[in-house]
Amino acid sequence: MAITVLLSFTACNAQIKNAKTESVKIYGNCGMCENTIEKAGNVKKVAQVDWNKDTKMATLTYDPSKTNQDEILKRIALAGYDSDQFLAPDDVYDNLPGCCQYERVKKTEVILTEVVTDHSMHNHDSTTDAKSETKQEVKELKVVFDNYFALKDALVKSDGNLASAKAKDLLNALNAVQMNQLSNEEHTVWMKVMKDLKFDTEHIEETKDVGHQRDHFNTLSDNMYQLIKVSKQVTPTYYQHCPMANDGKGANWLSKENGVKNPYYGSQMLTCGKTVETIE
Amino acid sequence: MDNQKNIYKKMLPIVILLLITSNIFAQKVVRYDLYVKDTIVNFTGKEKRAIAVNRQIPMPTLTFTEGDTAEIHVHNQLKESTSLHWHGLYLPNKEDGVPYLTQMPIEPNTTHIYRFPIIQNGTHWYHSHSGLQEQIGMYGSLILKKRTDDPTFRKGIDDLPTVPIILSEWTDYKPENVHRMLHNASDWFAIKKGTTQSYGEAIKAGHFKTKLTNEWKRMLAMDVSDVYYDKFLINGTSEHQLTRFKAGDKVRLRIANGGASSYFWLTYAGGKIKVVANDGNDVEPVDVDRLIIGVSETYDIIVTIPAENTSYEFLATPEGRTKSVSIYIGSGIKQLVSPLPKLKYFEGMKMMNDMMNMDGTMNDMGMDMSLQQMDMNTIMYPEITGDKEPMKMDKMQEMENMNHSQHSSINSDIVTLNYAMLKSPTITTLPEDAPVRDLKFELTGNMNRYVWSMDNKVLSETDKILIKKGEIVRITLYNNSMMRHPMHLHGHDFRVINGQGDYAPLKNVLDIMPMETNVIEFEANLEGDWFFHCHILYHMMAGMNRVFSYENQAPNPLLPDKKWAYKKLQRESNELHFMFQNDFATNGNDGMTMLQNTRWSFGTEWRLGYHDRHGYETETHIGRYIGRNQWLMPFVGFDWRYRKQNGDFEKNIFGQTNTKDNRTQFSLGVAYTLPMLVILQTEIYHDGNLRVQLRREDIPLTKRFRASFMVNTDKEYMVGLNYIAGKNLGFRTHYDSDMGFGIGLTLNY
Repeated sequence: MAITVLLSFTACNAQIKNAKTESVKIYGNCGMCENTIEKAGNVKKVAQVDWNKDTKMATLTYDPSKTNQDEILKRIALAGYDSDQFLAPDDVYDNLPGCCQYERVKKTEVILTEVVTDHSMHNHDSTTDAKSETKQEVKELKVVFDNYFALKDALVKSDGNLASAKAKDLLNALNAVQMNQLSNEEHTVWMKVMKDLKFDTEHIEETKDVGHQRDHFNTLSDNMYQLIKVSKQVTPTYYQHCPMANDGKGANWLSKENGVKNPYYGSQMLTCGKTVETIE
Repeated sequence: MDNQKNIYKKMLPIVILLLITSNIFAQKVVRYDLYVKDTIVNFTGKEKRAIAVNRQIPMPTLTFTEGDTAEIHVHNQLKESTSLHWHGLYLPNKEDGVPYLTQMPIEPNTTHIYRFPIIQNGTHWYHSHSGLQEQIGMYGSLILKKRTDDPTFRKGIDDLPTVPIILSEWTDYKPENVHRMLHNASDWFAIKKGTTQSYGEAIKAGHFKTKLTNEWKRMLAMDVSDVYYDKFLINGTSEHQLTRFKAGDKVRLRIANGGASSYFWLTYAGGKIKVVANDGNDVEPVDVDRLIIGVSETYDIIVTIPAENTSYEFLATPEGRTKSVSIYIGSGIKQLVSPLPKLKYFEGMKMMNDMMNMDGTMNDMGMDMSLQQMDMNTIMYPEITGDKEPMKMDKMQEMENMNHSQHSSINSDIVTLNYAMLKSPTITTLPEDAPVRDLKFELTGNMNRYVWSMDNKVLSETDKILIKKGEIVRITLYNNSMMRHPMHLHGHDFRVINGQGDYAPLKNVLDIMPMETNVIEFEANLEGDWFFHCHILYHMMAGMNRVFSYENQAPNPLLPDKKWAYKKLQRESNELHFMFQNDFATNGNDGMTMLQNTRWSFGTEWRLGYHDRHGYETETHIGRYIGRNQWLMPFVGFDWRYRKQNGDFEKNIFGQTNTKDNRTQFSLGVAYTLPMLVILQTEIYHDGNLRVQLRREDIPLTKRFRASFMVNTDKEYMVGLNYIAGKNLGFRTHYDSDMGFGIGLTLNY
């Protein structure tokens, strides 16, 4: 009996052939860390890790013909835990549960003195001097556009609740527009699109279904485009196009940024699309 | 320069430097001797054959300075012929290194001398253009340095320390076998990569309908890459450290992708990557978080080491993301970068379903999709679209993690390089008065049979495309296949029309994603026959090639009989592929063997019982695949069977009778692939009998289980279940209306 027990014990240990044992430091905090560290390090029949949360020391037992210390420590670092060989990627560390965010050894960053000679970053804000008489008109529709952009951002995040709330704001803004404050051109377009703008906005507000909201956002954007074309803006607006939206028929939207953030697919196809026109 | 010479002398004892003083600039002849030899390597614990040059894999880095004359002596010590192609270089056609197109193959135990002036600078590479030699070691870096008095010399870029980097991959399978398996639609690679995308896995992921639609549209599981590799390599090793750099240093990496079929994502742990050149041509510096380097492309990037005593991981992850390879830049503790998470294949499948029409074409998006700007694969990237399936963790931890990871794992601010961001620092316009020749190519393919072509024609079905010296060749490429293709033009750089106007970047490889349309143009200014092909080795060998040939060019002294040579070249990329399968079952032997090339199929099936009552039968078909999708195959057949049934007759459902026991028949028939990949085979025999049969093999139930069925109007039927145990081994159980129930062992090749 005793022999069988003994045998099974040795069998347990003998799971890893020609086992080599080493002791290394791995940074971490708590029992949860221990779980993650050991799980990341263990490979059946190849490597076993036993970490002690008090001493921060880990016992590595492994088969040197199949693996090495570096491989084990790299796996552990990729799970978020630094050792003296590897530093975990920052984003992985940041994603560790709060209780596991142990104190990291600070790296000494070198401050690079560099002359920035970047010509491509012309700031568009430098064209702010709009004439004073147009300012009033700008303001009149600006609230509308701003709310439209907020709605668009909600759709980029695929957040139906937020989109509905933003649509409500947009509807308020649309209703508050004083037509006598608009320029002639704006007025003409406004009369043409006002009804549809309100129609689509109401529908976006009514539902929390992002798919349905996007259907309306498509026509809303087309009308908004007509309006913004004739309305003078302080900063440029980008008219963007995704050929895949709307079941492959394509759809447009307006954005304040040149970089594409697609409101029709959200994170699925965030960068699908391109700027087709810059409205200044 | 002296230093450089010393290095050469140390590395290669036979390097001779001659000085030609005919010019004011001392023109130098730089000589390399390359000894090509079979070798045994051990990348995975198994010893395998590879080819080494000067005992190295990759081949030695060759360095020249613009203005030098290169003289490269290639000593072929292999038992087969070889060649070397200087990828991205402008050189006389006879030095281009394409056997049967620009020269005869370098035969065993002979020496061939390549000699050409270096008239450009930049990061390039060189590789064998013979068969599949590139896969097993014949690739190396080729660095052409800018002269310091060059007007385009960029301070802070061209004077940085540089490290040549060549990416590659290794498979323990013989490349010829890889090629054959691809053509036989073996899904062994998918099993190895864990990308089978079976019904079982689809149901688990809640994507049953997606899988169903996919098969309804007659598609096999899609993947971003075809081949399973055991190892990925940077400069021939899987991990190493560049300790000579310290904090604050900027390092220029000259990266060439020498992989035979792998695209690599490049990411860096120490901040942004500054892209400064592409395909050997300078571009305006652009900062990105990551970039993908297509097969055979080169990129020059600058990375900075931000902190002391830290070594930053530079990670190359093949597009399939099953493995990766890294180097650490700097000395000290290694700062890792997050690995790219696994692809969400079913999301990709769903997207493919939406894009694929029922007739097997893709939605043409016109110029709306071009220049890598809309990466359809993005839908499969968890780092951008978020990880829908929570990772398997302890419950407690999972809940704790939820709040943290959800918002941070969706990172839409990652800047990925695309071709529209490349801008040449100099004007690249072509002569305005030159005549323009417009060409259009549609890239086509058939994943199921691994046929890759242009305008649905492989090289063996087309003549050379004649162009005139002095004209501008403008090529519109539309990718109507399901995979991306790195299209490479020999001997010329082309402008990529990417919205940068006069500053369009110059490239010699264009990665074109599915459904993209791109326009490139080049001036025909270098006489000869130039290859234009997909640089994925196995696509090239499947025939995805064309040749541009200058009209009225001078004869090539290295290739006296060009017509004959072209036929050889054509034949090389349309080989017959052999396939064999037999099930040794308790109720008999079931098997088939097939020889196929791009269009033709010669196949024999058999069912051999162990006694006369079960009988013996064979069916032989010779058929030709028709059309782009190759769903239709008319064939002529020959059937023979013998069975002892005491002269019984059997009746088919049309009321026609035939003898069961002894039958020799010729037939005419047609096979057609129906939605769900069911093959409908209609056959009329010379005695007037008609047989209609439905059959489907390899229904992927789980990762390794495959179901099959067959039913026909002779009232015969079969159902089977196959378990794939190994590359060439399986276990099968089936029920056959003639032979009854059987269990057996399947061997296939």
